[in-house]
Amino acid sequence: MDSALGIFGSQSWLRPAGIGAASAHDLTVAMAIGLGVVFVVVMALIALAWRADTAPRGWWIWSGGVIVPLGAILLILLGSTMALLAMTRAHDDALVIDVTGHQFWWDIVYDPEGAAVRDANELVLPKDRPVTLRLHAEDVIHSFWVPSISGKMDMVPGRTNILTLTATRTGLFRGQCAEFCGVGHPRMAFEVRVLDPGAFDDWLEQTGGEARKAARPDLQDGREVFETAGCAACHEIRGVAEGARMGPDLTRIGARRSLGAGMWRMSQGALAGWIADARAMKPGAQMPGYTQLSGPDLRAVSAYLASLK
Amino acid sequence: MTQTANRTPAAYDRAPSGAHDATFEQFWQPPPGLRVLSSVSHRVVGKRFLITGFVFFLIAGVLALLVRTQLIVPENTFLDSETYNQIFTMHGTIMMFLFAIPMLEGFGIYLIPMMVGARDLVFPRIGSFGYFCYLFGGIIVLSSFLFDAAPDSGWFMYVPLTTSAHTPGMSADFWLIGITLAEVASVTAAVEIIAAILCSRAPGMSLSQMPILMWYLLVTAFMIALAFPPLIFGTVILEAERLLGLPFFDPEFGGDPVLWQHLFWLFGHPEVYIIFLPAAGMVATMLPVFVGKPLFGYGFAVAAVVSMGFLSFGLWAHHMFATGLPNMSLTLFSAASTMVAIPTGVQIFCFVATLTQGRPRLTVPMHFILGFLFIFVLGGLTGVMLASVPFNLQAHDSYFVVAHLHYVLIGGFVFPMFGALYYWVPHFTGRMMSETLGKWVFWLMFLGFNLAFFMMHLTGMRGMPRRVATYPEGIGWDRLNMLSSIGAYILAAGIALFIVDFFRHRWVGRPAGRNPWGAATLEWLYPPRSPGYNFRAIPIIHSREPLWDQPELSRGDPAGIDGALRAYPDHRRETIGCDPVSGAPIQILRLPHPTWFPLVFALGLTMIFALTLAGLYPWTMAGAVIALIGLTGWIWEPSDSGVIRQTGVAGLALPVNAVDRRSHLYVGTAGALLISFALYASILFAGLYLWNTRPLAVAQTALPEAMPAIAALAGACATPILAWFARRLAGVSRLVGAALLDLGCALAAIGAAFAVGLALAPVDPWATAFGAVGWALGVFVVLNLAVVVYWALFNALRKLAGAVRPGQTLPDLLLASFVNGTALMVAGAAVLFLVLGRMA
Repeated sequence: MDSALGIFGSQSWLRPAGIGAASAHDLTVAMAIGLGVVFVVVMALIALAWRADTAPRGWWIWSGGVIVPLGAILLILLGSTMALLAMTRAHDDALVIDVTGHQFWWDIVYDPEGAAVRDANELVLPKDRPVTLRLHAEDVIHSFWVPSISGKMDMVPGRTNILTLTATRTGLFRGQCAEFCGVGHPRMAFEVRVLDPGAFDDWLEQTGGEARKAARPDLQDGREVFETAGCAACHEIRGVAEGARMGPDLTRIGARRSLGAGMWRMSQGALAGWIADARAMKPGAQMPGYTQLSGPDLRAVSAYLASLK
Repeated sequence: MTQTANRTPAAYDRAPSGAHDATFEQFWQPPPGLRVLSSVSHRVVGKRFLITGFVFFLIAGVLALLVRTQLIVPENTFLDSETYNQIFTMHGTIMMFLFAIPMLEGFGIYLIPMMVGARDLVFPRIGSFGYFCYLFGGIIVLSSFLFDAAPDSGWFMYVPLTTSAHTPGMSADFWLIGITLAEVASVTAAVEIIAAILCSRAPGMSLSQMPILMWYLLVTAFMIALAFPPLIFGTVILEAERLLGLPFFDPEFGGDPVLWQHLFWLFGHPEVYIIFLPAAGMVATMLPVFVGKPLFGYGFAVAAVVSMGFLSFGLWAHHMFATGLPNMSLTLFSAASTMVAIPTGVQIFCFVATLTQGRPRLTVPMHFILGFLFIFVLGGLTGVMLASVPFNLQAHDSYFVVAHLHYVLIGGFVFPMFGALYYWVPHFTGRMMSETLGKWVFWLMFLGFNLAFFMMHLTGMRGMPRRVATYPEGIGWDRLNMLSSIGAYILAAGIALFIVDFFRHRWVGRPAGRNPWGAATLEWLYPPRSPGYNFRAIPIIHSREPLWDQPELSRGDPAGIDGALRAYPDHRRETIGCDPVSGAPIQILRLPHPTWFPLVFALGLTMIFALTLAGLYPWTMAGAVIALIGLTGWIWEPSDSGVIRQTGVAGLALPVNAVDRRSHLYVGTAGALLISFALYASILFAGLYLWNTRPLAVAQTALPEAMPAIAALAGACATPILAWFARRLAGVSRLVGAALLDLGCALAAIGAAFAVGLALAPVDPWATAFGAVGWALGVFVVLNLAVVVYWALFNALRKLAGAVRPGQTLPDLLLASFVNGTALMVAGAAVLFLVLGRMA
């Protein structure tokens, strides 16, 4: 099975593509250089002290231990506070997206008060437009983190945390849960696609609405398997089976680039493997294995899901 | 007191059975064979802590190697996710709770009496008791592996992952119960260290003449006393949520998962400094020895340590920057966190300034000190980076933090500790460890460490989160992880070589002569291995560096040095007790001889904990009975106070066990009250926190009953008055009347306890978290009242049984102080029940 990694961009915070990540990047570079100099100077002083044979003075301690550190930390505090205020500034025209962490996947609703387009495990963002993420958790604490775009924010049961971010570069990025959340924690990732604003609007429009109709007989068989084998108890496909929210929304699953919350490259084969034994592909996954499905049924339902673009 | 001194009855100077004609050396001898388990000597107990702590260090180190082996390549299948989670959880848990804290306690317990000029700790039995609690708690935690139920939710045990809904089975219970038992050792050690340093210094040793390590340990002990209670409260209510279903952290019932994080980090942040400070104190002790000049900036260092102690309680929330705190809190905690750079910088510059004073000797301990300076300064600087909020939001829970915390903990604790082992092991074993192998150990550890952990800064910047059992290929983390794992193996090779060196030196190490390092402090007065009584006569101290400045201490047979308490008319273990501030001798402290009672008490407590874990709740009563027997046997000893004895110094005669507020027992009682108040404050914090974040659920909580609350208030006011009169009557030798007043005090306490229960009757603890916190407050003050009842009955019984002589008012003074503290807490709770509910 192909790992999904090949298709994603970076997860590094040193190659920023968002306002928050850019401030953190600049602070990282500035502090690493400044404090690196401090480190070298202190080590040099130790080397000098080692060779010296002289009476120390009280002002050495005042200057090295109090005045210089005080100056350095005041500079750092000033820079950090300014960056923090800029990062967290609220925007009235921001696009609102609800993201809910589950063990071990992400439920995503765009514009919850308006179009309310539900999707999962893939976050699509418009470039240069402020976005307000409302972060929730279904079961345990998770943490939403796309290092290339912004710092992280925890998702805490019973709370709604706000993360304001603005992506500044189009492309593919990888996000990952940053708070230990159980067995599936290392495999709770997601993909982030940043699109130009026009492309984003098109995408949102296309993603809303009901699922694509099953056009071929084998796909219709697949839809039938979906409805009868119990999939619909947990998963929703708009226009086919609505209301279940235990598992990720599957209305556009075929359009996603990855499967298993950012883990595997999406394909009909991967889907069939997942349905047969999700836990083998992702330890800790809540979905039971459907080994009882016959070969033809498994082929049909995976072909149907892959067609849902 | 003059009255009683005149008519000293013979019973007061009774020697312990069998010791009538024992020589001084004989009654200081540790008991032979298996009976050594009954030894309470600080040397025996200190070495037990050190050895057990080191064994746990090796266990946790092996777990770390398993972690690094799993992460050496991406998508590794060496360990599955479940096992990996158990292993990283146990690695952190053992390192923090079962290695670092016990190790520093071991050094403290072993060194303090010898450094301050005492023959043993002030409360040796508490040391022994604490050790057994630690050992049994550690065994409980470790035994989870046997039941395939090792904790797997991280050493930080965040809820709701650790609640029974998300972690069914017993793994979290093993953690909560085992660690709480081990924590008992930490808080008892805190009281012990405070009392030993404040009350048993040699004549002439004022606070400003104490070895610098004593300051570090004193501040650390106060921090332990204040920092562990929030964690103890947190673990108890989390266990209550798991066992009884109380909704402390459940948002559906007005609880809050973030409350756990506050309680945990209220402990967890000071904990880091609790680990670092004693190690820095050991550096401040060793470094001047190898320079050959006193520490420069003693006053600076003391001020830095004290301010670090205070600061450490104001920055716990920097572990929680990503939990959604408002910008104002973020900025304040960020500023407070950066401020730590100042006292740290002061200490580092004191060390650097000390180095300039002479030509340092590059010994093995000195290697480790230089390694400490390199690693810890780097870790401190990345700590300043982490205090910056925008940076922290990226670095938090990434490998950058893993790198930072290992730089400060391995650099700030493990390297100084290995230096300290090379420095003090000759004191334990009488032989020197190898200089050549020691340098190999250092270089392997230093290079391996930096290779392993420097890379992790970069892995973190490339976005790798912590606590992941595996990671995908091709994301840019492969090579860095490979290097980290190789570094970890090299570091482990260094530690393995240390063990080889340790066993080697026991056989062939060069015998350590008297004061092998040319040290300045009193523990090197005798040639190692020095006798168990530490000082045949307790020397008089005029200097901070006595072995350098007082030539009479280095000349001739150390047993012949002039000092106090050479005579032993009562054939009892004794040492000099001092005024806490001036260090002037004020009393002769009677020290306990070997006894099994601390072990019995610890076994009883362990039974309570282990049977709770096993779900055999009725049987815990058996444990409670055994614990009470152990405790009562322990404290039921002849009262010695009132006897006056010659000290043998300048005609000075001192009372045995002073009866005023300078008494070591009073200091110990005050220490216990401090811990109790910290627990009380933790409960109030939880209530205030929910009041603030979940006002709706608070408003839905039923009000406590008013009349019983008023009755509890009245009972709380009555107890101190009765205890005060009991003390007055005992002072004028009306023992029966005093005993009756003690009984009255016990009755009032029982009444107050019932009133607290009645007041809380309408509050359903399962309905809201706020109600559950109210019950926690009630249960806590009732437990304190139970101690008052036990104590008052004990005092009354001893008066009626004739175990207390006229004029011996110390037991009454101690009870009265504890009653005052308890009454304050009960009254506070009663007022809260009356007022808070009616404000909403």
